[in-house]
Amino acid sequence: MSSRQPPAALLWATLGAVVIGGAGLALRSGRRAARPLPLALHPGRSSTVRAARRLNRAAGVLATSVLADSAVEHYRGSFHNRAMIAPLISGGLSLVVSLHGNADKRAGAHSVRDAVYALALLTGLIGTAFHLYNVGKKPGGFRWENLFYGAPLGAPAALLLSGSTGYLAERVRDTPRGRIPRIAGFPAGRTVAAATALGLLGTVAEAGLLHFRGAFNDPFMFAPVTLPPLSALCMANAALGPRRRQRWLTRALLRLTVCLGLAGVGFHLRGINRQMGGWHNVRQNLLNGPPIPAPPSFSGLALAGLAALGLMEDHPDG
Amino acid sequence: MREFRDDELVDFAVVGTGAGGAPLIARLAESGFSVVGLDAGPYYRPLEDFASDEREQSKLYWLDERIVEGANPIVMGGKNSGKAVGGSTVHFAMVSLRFRPEWFRSRSLLGYGADWPVDWREMWHYYGIAEQALRIAGPVHYPWGPWRPRYPYRAHELNGAAELLARGAEALGMRWTPTPLATVSAPRAHDHGRSPPCVYRGFCRFGCSTNAKQSQLVTFIPRALAAGAEIRDLAMVGRIEVGADGRVSGVHYHREGRWHFQRARHVVVAGYAIETPRLLLASATDRYPNGLANSSGLVGRYLMTQSNQAVFGTMAQEVRWYKGPPSLAVTEHWNYDDHKDFFGGYCWMAQGPLPVEWATIQTSARGLWGQALRDAMEKYNYQVGLKMVGEMLPDERNRVTLAEEKDQYGLRVARIHYSWGANDKALIQHALDQMQMSLEAVGARDLFRQEDDTNHLAGTARMGTDPASSVVNPDGRSWDIPNLWVCDGSVFPTTGGVNPSLTITSLALRMADRIRALAARSEL
Amino acid sequence: MAERYPGYDVLAKRNTPSWNAKTREVIDARLAVSREPRFFSPGEWRTLWALCDRIVPQPRDRAPVPLPAYVDEKLYTGQLDGYRYAQLPVQGEAWRRGLAALEAEAQSACGAPFTQLDPAQQDALLGRMQRGELTNPAWQGMPCQLFFEHRVLPDITHAYYAHPTAWNEIGFGGPASPRGYARMGLDRRDPWEAPRALPTTHGTASAQGHRSDG
Repeated sequence: MSSRQPPAALLWATLGAVVIGGAGLALRSGRRAARPLPLALHPGRSSTVRAARRLNRAAGVLATSVLADSAVEHYRGSFHNRAMIAPLISGGLSLVVSLHGNADKRAGAHSVRDAVYALALLTGLIGTAFHLYNVGKKPGGFRWENLFYGAPLGAPAALLLSGSTGYLAERVRDTPRGRIPRIAGFPAGRTVAAATALGLLGTVAEAGLLHFRGAFNDPFMFAPVTLPPLSALCMANAALGPRRRQRWLTRALLRLTVCLGLAGVGFHLRGINRQMGGWHNVRQNLLNGPPIPAPPSFSGLALAGLAALGLMEDHPDG
Repeated sequence: MREFRDDELVDFAVVGTGAGGAPLIARLAESGFSVVGLDAGPYYRPLEDFASDEREQSKLYWLDERIVEGANPIVMGGKNSGKAVGGSTVHFAMVSLRFRPEWFRSRSLLGYGADWPVDWREMWHYYGIAEQALRIAGPVHYPWGPWRPRYPYRAHELNGAAELLARGAEALGMRWTPTPLATVSAPRAHDHGRSPPCVYRGFCRFGCSTNAKQSQLVTFIPRALAAGAEIRDLAMVGRIEVGADGRVSGVHYHREGRWHFQRARHVVVAGYAIETPRLLLASATDRYPNGLANSSGLVGRYLMTQSNQAVFGTMAQEVRWYKGPPSLAVTEHWNYDDHKDFFGGYCWMAQGPLPVEWATIQTSARGLWGQALRDAMEKYNYQVGLKMVGEMLPDERNRVTLAEEKDQYGLRVARIHYSWGANDKALIQHALDQMQMSLEAVGARDLFRQEDDTNHLAGTARMGTDPASSVVNPDGRSWDIPNLWVCDGSVFPTTGGVNPSLTITSLALRMADRIRALAARSEL
Repeated sequence: MAERYPGYDVLAKRNTPSWNAKTREVIDARLAVSREPRFFSPGEWRTLWALCDRIVPQPRDRAPVPLPAYVDEKLYTGQLDGYRYAQLPVQGEAWRRGLAALEAEAQSACGAPFTQLDPAQQDALLGRMQRGELTNPAWQGMPCQLFFEHRVLPDITHAYYAHPTAWNEIGFGGPASPRGYARMGLDRRDPWEAPRALPTTHGTASAQGHRSDG
């Protein structure tokens, strides 16, 4: 398995899996479309469906980030282990079902979406374990330099987040008519807010680690370790704190965080230009420069946070 | 760039712009002195002038004739001298290590060598400044010695060769660390230009064509120019002029085909351990028949190099050691740590010789030629190696003198005499055994030793507190002539068990502060 | 011996980001080295060719790297090494004396010019030079061992391993600027590095994976 290039077969397999998954969804949707539209029949559910679609969007953004990031990073790793194709398949499927969920205006969980999201969650967990193992077996174990350059611990977690956000979307969408959406007995809004807060903190840790590796050489590199933690704090407060009608500060911070994730792509593109040879040397700099697809993870999580806020406003608990 | 006329009396003429000269020029200019830095080599623009080629880039080395002799003649050139603005830092391996506190008083505390007349805490202070100025990329935690501030940039990723050093060290229960290197691991915006992060092209010792390397050429030289100093390249200083008052009055230098004379209130010699004594000796006058600053008779004496032996082997895996800086991991071994039966310390580092240098190792260490050489060379991508940097003890008999033979400027060339002592040999053997065990531990096969190599220089104008046993005082000022100074590795009373460039730069930064303090007290 | 890196040609990267303009200029000049001696006499030139063929024997199925031309260029243009053993004369004088001594040794040992000895005889003579066993007066006091170690071996082998043909043979990445390398670890390579040959069942070698590309 030495110095091998990404096997074309595996890349095709990913693409194939995504296409087949998409087709399966389309077929299922086609069957369902024959029935009366649940949304039209049950207008009372519109707010939970809206929240669920927001969460699907969030899961989709996270999946996009994971798909692109793992494609680049695992290409860099020459796909030396066949399992390195897994996040591409899982992230790709997660993206497809998220698009589907976003387009789907009906209530009720969707078994394929559920399965794909569960798969993403599982892949993220296994991937994290893999990456932990990879770092741990390097000489020096969990020393800083191995955290910088070993398999990034936070990357598979983004897939886990995509899966769990999607899974939450399905639970919210599955709320019976006239009931307050709940997940595992807890109000859905608060649950999603808590998950978002945790996800944001994890992503902040990842960005902080890698920006520390970059010695915070540009002042803008402090942004992802400044703004998102505030958003996470507000989300935690939303999850655990007293009921409140308006959370304008939280909302503003989350919207800023969405923008930050997108702006991060711009900053990282600029970062490529600051590498030797810039875009002329793109084949090296895409791998050694700042990861272009990574920052939108923040956007995805902030979108999930906004969905949580919507849920809490539509379905105040207590 | 500000330019001075030859007849303009400048405050300082600094001869040499390397690890010692460049920071001194910059700091003196920043303190308001008028300074001209003269260098025999050209002022290169790396982006345009540097090729990815071992042979072409030997233009960075001091390749003028020097005669070597003794039981262990020193191979001069790329491994110890540079001829370019920025000096040998333009082609050095960027290894930026500190000497250990105890080592600065090796005579009193460890029983060998000589004490430095500078306290280690003061050196520690200037090391910190130098590391910041050169944006050293180092580990988050350095495993040896007292606390040091965090390196400004993070360590680089290990390449295969460095990972094998680390695995070998762990197998032997030794500590190791990513090497602190003077090449940036993230972009650096300078006041004058920029440094993109290292692209791991592996030609570090042949000049960095991307400016990632924080050589003097991209750090203190631009600072010096910004502060109003002049850097006069292609200016070979051949003689220091002494006035009727016994003080020096300027330097004669060869440029554009003829000799010039630059007037100066002070002359600082920063030509490293061969050219510095060569110039001092060549400047002899009736008043100073044995050369300048040489009343002790020690100019040119106590020359030191560092042992640079290696063990190489072949792996089953591809290592491809041509990628990345050659010395990405290091393990330090100073004798007082582990009670060995010899004096001095050493470290060893991962290796990445490019083809011409690798061929040299095959021919010189193994005596290979013919088909045997070609067959050995074909294993290039599977090779791994560990190379030491070891302390050699100062010995008065190891020295630089002037030969009768003349160079292209009509100047007498240096004659360099060097022989290893018993302690040097014991240290080398110990290191070779350790390195061999480390390579065996990672499964390297067909091991062989390179037993004859040396690198770096020190001594020949040692500093001290006694005019009878040293050439310059702790400030680098010559005992004999108060306006003649030395600022380079020549002043080292002992050479340590790690690469010397960071120490040379730190000493230069200290010297600049000392000169400013003396000027403030009108003691200059 | 089968090629280790079949299909790898470092010159194919000439117009990729691996080569900057200065490198192209330098390597172009190297490949265009003058094939006519400017320092050596015709007689010395013939001896030098025979010597180079033994120090770095080259395969018959390709044009040889003209090693004597690089030695001649070094001496003609006066590229020095930065040091000289006290027992050796300046490099040009050392070479002239050394080649003449080699011919004298060939005559006294085998009764024929060095160029006309068979390879085994030539190697035997060179082996004695390496061990310092040659004492013909033609050496004029120059230690043959030092000449072999510090003139013959470096001047010839440096020329060979500074040539792209040699880089292809050993799988060296070659020029690398502005593009360096991204994959640093053991058993990893970038697509623009030499793919090594894998042994096949047919006993020949084929490039591993796809060919290296620019």
